[in-house]
Amino acid sequence: MALLAGPNGAGKTTLMKVILGLVRPDSGSFEVDGAPVSIDKAWKRRIGYLPEAVTFSDNLSGLQLLRFFARARGVDSKRVDAVLGEVGLGRVRRRAVRSYSRGMRQRLGLGLGVAILAKPELLVLDEPTAGLDQEGLTLLWRVLAEWKEAGRLVLMSTHDLALSERRVDTIHVLREGRVLVKGSAGELRRKAGSTHRVWLDLVDSEAEARRLHDAIRNWGKGSMSLDRGQLRVEVSADELLELMRIQGDFPKAVCGLRVEEPTLDMVYEELLGGEQR
Amino acid sequence: MSRVGLALALHELSERIRDRWVLVISVLFALLASGVSLYGRIAQADLEALTGPSLVTLTALLVPLVALVLSHDAIVGERDRNTLGLLLSLPVSRLEVVAAKYLGRSVALTLAVVVGLGAAMGAGGPSGLRTLVALMGPTILLGLAFLSLGMLVSACTRRQITATSIVVVTWFLLVFFYDLALLGILVISDGAVSQQTISSLVVANPAGLYRLQMMQVFAGPELLRSLGMTVALPSPGTLGLLWTGWLVLPTAASGILLAREKVI
Repeated sequence: MALLAGPNGAGKTTLMKVILGLVRPDSGSFEVDGAPVSIDKAWKRRIGYLPEAVTFSDNLSGLQLLRFFARARGVDSKRVDAVLGEVGLGRVRRRAVRSYSRGMRQRLGLGLGVAILAKPELLVLDEPTAGLDQEGLTLLWRVLAEWKEAGRLVLMSTHDLALSERRVDTIHVLREGRVLVKGSAGELRRKAGSTHRVWLDLVDSEAEARRLHDAIRNWGKGSMSLDRGQLRVEVSADELLELMRIQGDFPKAVCGLRVEEPTLDMVYEELLGGEQR
Repeated sequence: MSRVGLALALHELSERIRDRWVLVISVLFALLASGVSLYGRIAQADLEALTGPSLVTLTALLVPLVALVLSHDAIVGERDRNTLGLLLSLPVSRLEVVAAKYLGRSVALTLAVVVGLGAAMGAGGPSGLRTLVALMGPTILLGLAFLSLGMLVSACTRRQITATSIVVVTWFLLVFFYDLALLGILVISDGAVSQQTISSLVVANPAGLYRLQMMQVFAGPELLRSLGMTVALPSPGTLGLLWTGWLVLPTAASGILLAREKVI
């Protein structure tokens, strides 16, 4: 499961549209497993797509709409009812789409993109989390987890990085049409040099606590502050283990420990900010 | 046409017959057509000579409007709703998408015309299979020609509101203004513009071609000549070519335009 991130105009949607044959690039090539791909009907059969902020025709019901996509994709129409139930629209399946809420329309799109479309090898989702309520989000992540388990691929873009970071395998940060950085959430944290915040609650025994404080100060990495018996240290991901080792040398100095990872949003800001600088 | 194309054509038909605007204007057409026939029957008018031409006047106004309402959002509507990409991500070519949309909407339009004129005949309008075919055939062709024009407008525009404005102007120009403009040319030129040119200009407009064809059906060439009408109906071959051109060329142009688009 790969995530495309980047500011507006970075090229996320354009890249997806190139893959779908909706944008014809001026130059460059498109390869899958090292082999060039031509965007033809055979390729399109391998892909499912859900565009951003899609508004379905008001004249039809959810059932009629899904039946069309089922026919177009050669999927048994009996599956339509099952899928509508799966995306939580079973009870409103005969209602006109115009009466659906935004979240319901997104879930309908999810039905089209994920469940109905003949289980394509690659699923391309442009901002699928936009407009989804909590129930819809839970459904999206459940369906995508099943998709991933089945060995299928997902390429998605989203602005909700915090929501996605534990679920995606690779994150590609784009800027002005090129990949700025890519990797797992952990790798991105390292590349951004984002700091982890560590809080150490010191015990009352001042001597042991003082020795730990001095050891960290002598270590000379990160930044440190002491406030009402709590030591706060900011270190990079690489320095974190070393700090833990130092702390381990003074087992009686600490009665509580909390580590706060930088959020992916913070990492993203740092990466883009660093590039701008 | 592929399975996806056929599914899309069916989908288009299903969607159009549920479209409130299309329903309203089709019902209005059926009511007015029935009204004309009923009036003719009550007034005991000569069905062939008076009720028929009155129906033709009505169909020449309303059928192009129904067709343009049906087709103006074919492509641009999908663009506006952000579903064009979803549609084109299906295993189907862009040309096929346009063809399927045209096919589905053509069937919807044909149904509207058949129901409207059928209601008129049921209400006492022109009867008999010959008259039915002579009236329905060209009326459907007229509708399909304007449907094709609407497809072209839809493919050329980026916003539905623009397409709506353009088709309203198109309807006004081709259905109302065109004949008046030709008349004006004829009067102002004082014979400088040849009859042949005027004849060609009349048949170059599908609404003009339709009216001319219907005049031949209901009035007959001799009566028209006696009334001083010198614009002759083209030969059946030319007539076929003209209608085929109007039906095929704008839709084909919309398909080519969509197929050549670099960014959807």
